[in-house]
Amino acid sequence: MDFIEVKNVSKVFRINRRKSGVTGMLANLFVPKYEKKEAVKNLNFSIGQGEMVGFIGPNGAGKSTTIKMLSGILFPESGEITVGGFIPYKQRKTYVGSIGVVFGQKSQLQWDLPVIDSFELLKAIYRVPEGVYKKNLDRYTGMLDMGGFLNQPVRQLSLGQRMRADIVAALLHSPKIVFFDEPTIGVDVVGKETIRNFIRDLNRQDHVTMIFTTHDMQDIEKTCDRLIIIDKGSKVYDGTLPGIRERYGTTRQLDVEFVEHKEVAPIPKVEIIELDNNKKRFVFESHEVHINELMDHLLSHYNIRDINISEPEIESIIRKIYSGEYL
Amino acid sequence: MRDIMHLVGVYTKTTARSWFQYRVDALLRSLAVFLRESTGVIVIYFTLLKFDNLNGWNIHELLFLYSLLFLTYGIMIIFFTGLRDFGRMVRSGNFDRFILRPRGLLFQLIFANADWFAAVGHGGLGLVLFVISAGKVGVIWNFKTVVYYLFAIMGGVLIQGAVFLFLATLNIYLFETSSLKELFYYNMRKFAGYPISIFHRAVQIIIIYIMPFAFVNYFPAQYLLRKEDMEGYPQIFLYLTPVVGVGMYLLAYLFWKFSIKYYKSSGN
Repeated sequence: MDFIEVKNVSKVFRINRRKSGVTGMLANLFVPKYEKKEAVKNLNFSIGQGEMVGFIGPNGAGKSTTIKMLSGILFPESGEITVGGFIPYKQRKTYVGSIGVVFGQKSQLQWDLPVIDSFELLKAIYRVPEGVYKKNLDRYTGMLDMGGFLNQPVRQLSLGQRMRADIVAALLHSPKIVFFDEPTIGVDVVGKETIRNFIRDLNRQDHVTMIFTTHDMQDIEKTCDRLIIIDKGSKVYDGTLPGIRERYGTTRQLDVEFVEHKEVAPIPKVEIIELDNNKKRFVFESHEVHINELMDHLLSHYNIRDINISEPEIESIIRKIYSGEYL
Repeated sequence: MRDIMHLVGVYTKTTARSWFQYRVDALLRSLAVFLRESTGVIVIYFTLLKFDNLNGWNIHELLFLYSLLFLTYGIMIIFFTGLRDFGRMVRSGNFDRFILRPRGLLFQLIFANADWFAAVGHGGLGLVLFVISAGKVGVIWNFKTVVYYLFAIMGGVLIQGAVFLFLATLNIYLFETSSLKELFYYNMRKFAGYPISIFHRAVQIIIIYIMPFAFVNYFPAQYLLRKEDMEGYPQIFLYLTPVVGVGMYLLAYLFWKFSIKYYKSSGN
């Protein structure tokens, strides 16, 4: 059995549908009407110990609900979840001592107090032995270059500094599994890079299992080996990052700059897009049109100054998956 | 146990330090609470200038009655701030963070937060009123009365804590219970500032049996002062405050225990 097992998990929320107006308010008070919303539908996956998995999907896809079920905040409606031998929502107190959760949008630090005070509080809450605490604190604050602001109140920190402090806060008790929920949101490019490097190093060195949700594909590309995409509560992809290119990224585009302006005769199964005066873009599926034949055709019929071929960005593939183009 | 005491210590240090970050602000806010709550006392004071006594209670006895109300609230709010703000915590998702920590949920709600402004404001007012009145109401402060008084305070704290816990638990089912708290708690407390014998029977029933503020201040004060209007109530009520407190708190606790399971399955 894998470290994390999610089997046939579903979660339905009942949403109170309010009617407007005074009569509607009264009606709602006595006969509330509920609408069912299936946040997660029959979800299955398993994750091995030490894996680093990117968990992505559009807003409202069920990511947060899944993370909440994995971390023990919510019960699943049906199905089973086990993490490291625990059933998160049944053995809460023992289970949560072995996990760390970073919510990018919600700090767990004491707003008015120096960062170090929050760390001391967490040390008491998690019963972290002095030696372990000291070791973790020195190591993580060193890796994240935090020495300069440990004694500053949290409210004075920049978003990037606060995020780093929040990450250390979630790791002080040496969790076996860490959930990162959008840990780079709102952070500048340099800050993002620091956080990504840290997360990757931690995963490689300590074999901490990590699940990482984000909307920034760069986060995933730089840290995760594996990617799970969910949409409308169901899993739509589970595999490696290069795998997603192989499976969906079959579109190629060829940008050609001609020596002089000239009409190009239509080519079967190739879309031709007019760019500037002398530039044209040829878009085609790599399994339908052979790149060599297309280039031969162009070179033999036209005078060409420059040619450039590109694969689609992961970002644009993901966008297409979200918008349902591949379903 | 040592571990629990240590954590309670760190929590208390943390909340007190947060409170003390802005010293002037902390003082002014406590003072604001103090003055706001004093208005009720001032009204009584002016009433008594006209009437001399209220159903046999003179001004010092009334202030003594009032002081119990505020002393118990001041102590209670140190522990029950988290329950007072529970509805807001659930809605903002901050309660989720408590679920993610390896400690009891109610334990965290009770110790992780303390509104020291309210505690100092209310408790300070209670203390001032007690100091003004305690020597002038004819109570002989000996071992027996002091022990009675301490138990009465504890009971009063538990009664109000139970109400806060109960209303917080209701939040799990209803969306918003702050108006209920306003209606049943803060409004009834205004009545409790007076000897309940001056009110209509219906109000008395509410304040004895439904929102039992009478056990927070009226009956304990009666035990110590023995005013004539006690005739209208069973003598046993003089001794019930700690029992009512523990009983109500246990009931509220069971309701909480039952409901918190439901919270996780509904996800609000």
